[in-house]
Formats: sequence, structure tokens, C-alpha cells
Amino acid sequence: MAVAARKKSARRAQLESVALYPIDWLEERSGLVGGVKYFLFRKVPRDIGWFHTLGSATLTAFIVQAITGVVLAMYYKPDPNSAYQSIQHITNDVTLGWLVRGMHRWGASVFIILMFFHMARVFLFGAYKYPRELNWIIGVLLLVLGMAEGFTGYLLPWDQTAYWATVVGINLNGTAPFLGPFLAQFLQGGDAIGSDTLSKFYSLHMLVVPGAIMGLIALHLYLVIRLGVTPSPWAKEAEDEGRAAGRTAGGRAGLVRPGRRGGRSGE
Amino acid sequence: MASRRIVERREAHKRYKENTERTGKPFFPHAMFHDTVMSLVVVGVITALAVIWYYDADGTEAGILGPHYTEEADPGTTDFIPRPDWYFYFLFYLLRIFKWPESVVLGTVGIPTIGLVLLLALPFLDLRRERRLSRRPVAIVALILTVVAMGTLTYKGATAREALGSQLVEAVPEWAERQGFEGNEAALAGGELFAATGCAQCHIYLGVGSVNLGAPELTAIGAGNRGVQYFKDYVANPQQFGNPVMPRYGEEFGGSLNDEQLTQIATFLDASKGEEE
Amino acid sequence: MSSPEDEKPHLPSPSLWPLGFAVGIACLLAGLVVSLPAAAVGALLAIVFGFLWIRDVTRGVDTAPAHVEPESRAPLQPTGAEAAGTSGGAMPVMEDEEVAAYPRSTFLSAATLGLGAAIGGVITVPVLGFAVLPSFTNQHEPNVELGPLDEFPEGKFVIATYLENPEIGEVSRRTVFVRNNGRLEDQPSFTVLFSRCVHLGCPVQPNGPVEEDNAKEVGEQNVRLIPAQPSGFGCPCHGGQYDTEGNRTAGPPVRALDRADFSIREGKLFLGGFYSVSEVRGTGARARIKKYGHAVPGVHVDGPSAWLYPIEVPG
Repeated sequence: MAVAARKKSARRAQLESVALYPIDWLEERSGLVGGVKYFLFRKVPRDIGWFHTLGSATLTAFIVQAITGVVLAMYYKPDPNSAYQSIQHITNDVTLGWLVRGMHRWGASVFIILMFFHMARVFLFGAYKYPRELNWIIGVLLLVLGMAEGFTGYLLPWDQTAYWATVVGINLNGTAPFLGPFLAQFLQGGDAIGSDTLSKFYSLHMLVVPGAIMGLIALHLYLVIRLGVTPSPWAKEAEDEGRAAGRTAGGRAGLVRPGRRGGRSGE
Repeated sequence: MASRRIVERREAHKRYKENTERTGKPFFPHAMFHDTVMSLVVVGVITALAVIWYYDADGTEAGILGPHYTEEADPGTTDFIPRPDWYFYFLFYLLRIFKWPESVVLGTVGIPTIGLVLLLALPFLDLRRERRLSRRPVAIVALILTVVAMGTLTYKGATAREALGSQLVEAVPEWAERQGFEGNEAALAGGELFAATGCAQCHIYLGVGSVNLGAPELTAIGAGNRGVQYFKDYVANPQQFGNPVMPRYGEEFGGSLNDEQLTQIATFLDASKGEEE
Repeated sequence: MSSPEDEKPHLPSPSLWPLGFAVGIACLLAGLVVSLPAAAVGALLAIVFGFLWIRDVTRGVDTAPAHVEPESRAPLQPTGAEAAGTSGGAMPVMEDEEVAAYPRSTFLSAATLGLGAAIGGVITVPVLGFAVLPSFTNQHEPNVELGPLDEFPEGKFVIATYLENPEIGEVSRRTVFVRNNGRLEDQPSFTVLFSRCVHLGCPVQPNGPVEEDNAKEVGEQNVRLIPAQPSGFGCPCHGGQYDTEGNRTAGPPVRALDRADFSIREGKLFLGGFYSVSEVRGTGARARIKKYGHAVPGVHVDGPSAWLYPIEVPG
């Protein structure tokens, strides 16, 4: 531990070693504590601010969805003949069921909005450039999966809104050339929405898509830790980097290149 | 042997890492504090939305954030207006723009796929290392255009109104009041027929309905004093008057409205002289 | 095993394995026709004997004569002393006598990958089949009784809503717009239009008064008949409009409304499966349509755009 050197009484030192014993035990046998400490105390650029909180905000929204989703799954019945009734039951009868269902429903919208904001922030800050290209691609996949999660979850209450929005959504996929009609028939579980459709969407919504999302989030976070957080584009470092890039890029400087008189970037 | 560009950027990254190590601040507690506050805001917003939604609505009655649920799914319905969740409104409105049948596949899969491909390929399209905003005009313009386009499409999708026959029929008494034909039995019956026959799917009337195939607004169509017989003949067979796209509603021309119904609709149209101030 | 002289070509010793393998294959093929347990036994024999045969054939190769070129990855000199520790690759350093074209480690790697692929296949293929195939097989052909012919007055539309498959309940509810066209050459003629828009599947509304007061419940399959007077049909989603034959008159629908087969037995109207139609020429009993298999909404069934959807989906 990076503890400042201080005079400690022997008693205090003894107490500390007792308290730390389980942590040291765990660390020696797994190395996990070291990993957590690395994550917590790694250095990030000085100038990052509130813009950089959008990513973790998205993660928080996802965690809210996961937890409320698990609780809802304890009361929801994924069969067309009882789904609607179970939703009414959750909303009206179950203690605080309305709150969990409401948080899950609005959490979905918040999750998607935050993903778009986070994507816009990353784009604006140029944080998709080398060496973070892979992270950007993973992020786009997460966006697509998040919207797929919203699409599959929308059917579950099995009310008119849910049913018809899903009919249109599936047929949208069906218009894709060549394989579209097969995809539509696969999603429907037949040639029209039937009882198998709801089970399939439930399985996708609960298991397949969240599993993929969680895996990709883990990869996404690993890359952020490994590659470092991008400093803001108004930091001094971005300026130095930009000038250096302009000097060496020459013909590949894009739209804006240093003028012949040196140092003056044309607009 | 790696090219100069590749060597340069590797070294730049290395410098960044060393720089951060030297002058950066530890993630905990500095940056993590901001993250925690923001997460608290997020959870607070979600909870607040849930509470407002629950207390303002009641079962299938909508509150300010919509109803708890609509009616149970009825796969055989003929009076429901489907809508997706709000984050798909931009796609929904895109589908209303592509009205020509040959172009349908562009709106459904063409444009979204192109958008997705551009998004995925972005790091390979923009190879510059420049990150300063003032030196990235293409990026800034692209971002603004995208935000404006998606925002407009979403807004238009949210405000797209359909004229559902059963809902419009309930509005006829209000129309009678605004247009001044309350006592006119035939006009009232005609108004209900107008609503049920789906005329508002092509004509705007007193602010409701859609415009389709260039159909004119009918709010004040009776102001020209053309008389009930004119409207009766027109609605029965619009082709007679040089209108090639409106269907024929008269029974003898293949439509489904009998003489009495045509008279009622014509009376209604003739009584629609524009709102009284 | 093999001949001690280097000049003779390597021949495997005679053995019964190939015979056993052949018997197994014969059993398998005959069993597929006659009896499945026999086929299983035959498959087992074929696998076991086949494995033994291959093992037998490749065993002799281990001690192939020294004129075979040594592998370049493991540099082997006759002295062999300096090879130790320099190979660095996946191959272990080998002794002089084991200069081989097919060392054991290669066999093990190939066998591990092969068996792993086989296990993966055995698990994944049936699971994927289970996930994907049922959507395309065993689709029922519906047979719905809509009610006696008297309920369908000539020249008028009736909105019929019914359960296509009462066993699964409300989720199979469908709506069709039925019009009795009278008789054509002494055969009753009906036009049965499916209520789902062929742009993206939204529920189409009849443009006309609907006589809810005269609605009737009929028969077994929870059929409800409601007379109506549509002058056309309109879709509330994206502005599609149809005429009373189902032809598209405005908006993005890509073809005419789908129709259903019908039959008349014992004076009652029965519905069969749905099919797609590109365009309807003429009206009522004399309407001429070109019939296609039931297609997904949004899919063109003819015209140049139909080339985008060349394969018809089974089931």
C-alpha cells in the first residue's frame, strides 16, 4: 500500500496487519487485489472532466437494467396467454412492482440515450483514433446490441403497442434482400407471430443479447484501462500532437495542412 | 520495416503513456468521484421517470408519460395505430418518406445499413491524428448534420398523427361546434361517415388527418357555396370532375355509399365553411 | 512390421481391419433401409474398424527409412548435439532415430483438433437445428369455418375475425375482409383479403362505416362477423391505401393485399391458407390475379425488384 511514511504506534500497526490479513490472503492466492488496486489507482490525464463520465453512466444504466430485469423475471410469464396478465399483476399487485417495472422501462430509454451521447462525445474528442479503433468498433456493436435489446424487450408486455411494433420490426428485417424473408420467418418462429415468438424473444432478451453485451463491455473496459483515457481535445497535449501530426503527415494531412510559411494552418 | 507514420504514432502513444504516468492524477478518487456523481444522477432520473409515469397514468389511460399498458395484443384488430419505441422514431419516419414501392427497401434496410457501415468504418476513414476541434471541420460538420437529421426525423416521427376512424367519430360534435352545424342532423351524420370512411387519411380537416396524393384541406371547402348536389356528385365519382386519384364512393360507380349516405356527406361538406371566430 | 530393407516399398501387413470396416459400412447402408438399430451397429463397427485400420496403416510410417528429409523446423544433424534448445518452436527436439515424416506430436495435434471439431459439431449442429429449423417446418395448413353462406350477403363486405388455431388461443387471431361476389358460371365466388398491410404488416382499416351493431358470433372457431361498407382500405402506419380489390392506390405497399384460399362445404364458407398477389385486374368474380406463395410484407413478388428475393421461404 502506498501509505505515507508515518510514525505509528505498535498497536496500530498490529491492528492494521490484522485487518489486512484477509486481503493479503486473497492477493497471494489469486492476484485479484492487485488488479483492483491497479484499476483504482492508475493515472488518468489531469484535464478529463464531466464529459468523460458518460461511459460509466451508460454502464450504470445497464446495471440498473440488469438488476431490475432479473427481479421482473421472477414474476413475468412468457406465454401469450398469461404475459399481459403477469404485467398487470406486476404493475398493480406486486409490492413496488410498479417501481421496478417503471425503472426497467425508463432505464431502457436512458441507456440508449446515454449510449448515443457517449458515442457523440467519443467522436468529438477523436477518441476513436489510433490505438483505440478496436474499442470504437466494440462500442458500435454495443450500440447495435443495445437497440436489439430494446426491440426484443418491447414485445414482452404483449399489449397492442408491443405486438404491432414487433410485427413491423420483424417485417422490416424481412425486406432485406435474399435472406430477409428467412430472417423474418426465423424471428417469428413461423409465418406469422405465434406463441413461439414470445419465448424466442424472451430468450434473446434475457440470455443471448445481455450475454453478448456483458462480454463486449468487459472487453471495452479492458481496452480503456490498457490504452488509457483520451485527454480532452482542448488540452495542451492534443495541440502538441496535432502540430506533430501536421508536420510529419505531409500529403496525408487531410483538409488542413500547415502552410508553406510554416506553423500557420490554413482553414 | 514499419512506415514513418506508424512509427510516429507508436511513439506518440508511448509519450502519452509516460506523460500520463508522470503528470496524471489517480483515477480514484479524482475521476471516480465524477463518475459516481453522474451515476447517482442517472439512477435518480430513472427513478423519477418511473415514479412520474406510474402516478400520472392509470392502467390503459395515458398520463404525461404514456399509459401503464395499452389493451392486450389483438392480432386481428382493425383499429389500432402501431408505433415503435421513441428511439426508433427516426426509422419510422424514414419509412413514411419512402412512399414509392420500389424504394421501400432503401428506407427499411438500405439507409440504416449504410449508416452502420459508416459508423463501423469510421476509424479507417479518418486516419488523421489531429484531435483539436478547430482543425477537424469535416468531423464537426458531419456530427452537426447527423444530430440535426436524426433529431428532425425523431421529432417528425413523434408528431406524425393518424386519423383513426373510431377516434375521429368522437370528435364530430366538436367539429359541429367549431363549424356551426350543431342542429343539422344530416351534417352530423355526414361528419361521422366522413370520419369512418377514412377521408382524413388523405384530407386534413380542422387540424387532423394526413395529406396524401395531393388532396386538399377540407376545413372550409363549403365556403365556396357550391351546394350539396355538387359535393354529392363529386364524392360519388370524382373522375367526372377531372380527379384521377380519388376513389369513387358512389354505389353505382363501384363504391359503397348509398344515396342517403352520399347526401349526408355532401351536407357535411357544404356546412364546413371554416371556423367561426 | 515393415521390411528391414530400405529399398522395398512399405506395405502394411495383412489384417482383418479393412474387412471389419467393409462389413460395418454394408451393415450401415442396409440398416438404413431395413432397420435403424442395425444401421447403428453398422456405424459403430465402421468407426471402430476404420480407426484400427488407419492406425495400423500409419503405424509403420514411424520407422521410415532415413532417406526421408528431416523437417526444417527441428534442425537435426547426425550429431544432434546442438539441436537441443534451439528449436524454440512447438515441436520438441527429437533424437536421431526419430527422424520422421509424421511424428507423434503432429498426430496428437491433428487428432485433438479433429475430435474437438467433432465434439463441437455434435453439440452445436443439433442445437442450431433446433433453434432454426422449426420455424420453417411443420407449418399447419389452416382450415377455418367462417359460417353459413347466408351470413355473407352478395356484393357486401364482411369483416371476419377468427382464431386460426384455437388450441393456441388468441395469439392466432386473424382478420379477413370477405366479399361475396355472387356466382360465376354457377360457382360461388368470394374475395377474401387479409387485413395485414403488405408494406410492413400493420393492421389495415376499412375506409367506411362498420356496422358494429350487426356483429354476429358464429360457430366453433370463435368467429365474429361484422358487416361493413368500405370504399377501400387504408393503413395507419405509413399511409398505404388500397381499393376494394386490394390493389394499392397510394403509399408504400409493394403489391396488392394478400388473399386467402376458400372452399365451400355443406353450405358453409371455409378458409384455407394465405397467398400473395401482385396485382388484381378486373373486379369481383371476374378479377384476374396471379398467385404467388405467401410472402413477407415488403417483398416484391414480381417485377424487377423481385430479383432481390429469389428464394421462396419454405413453410
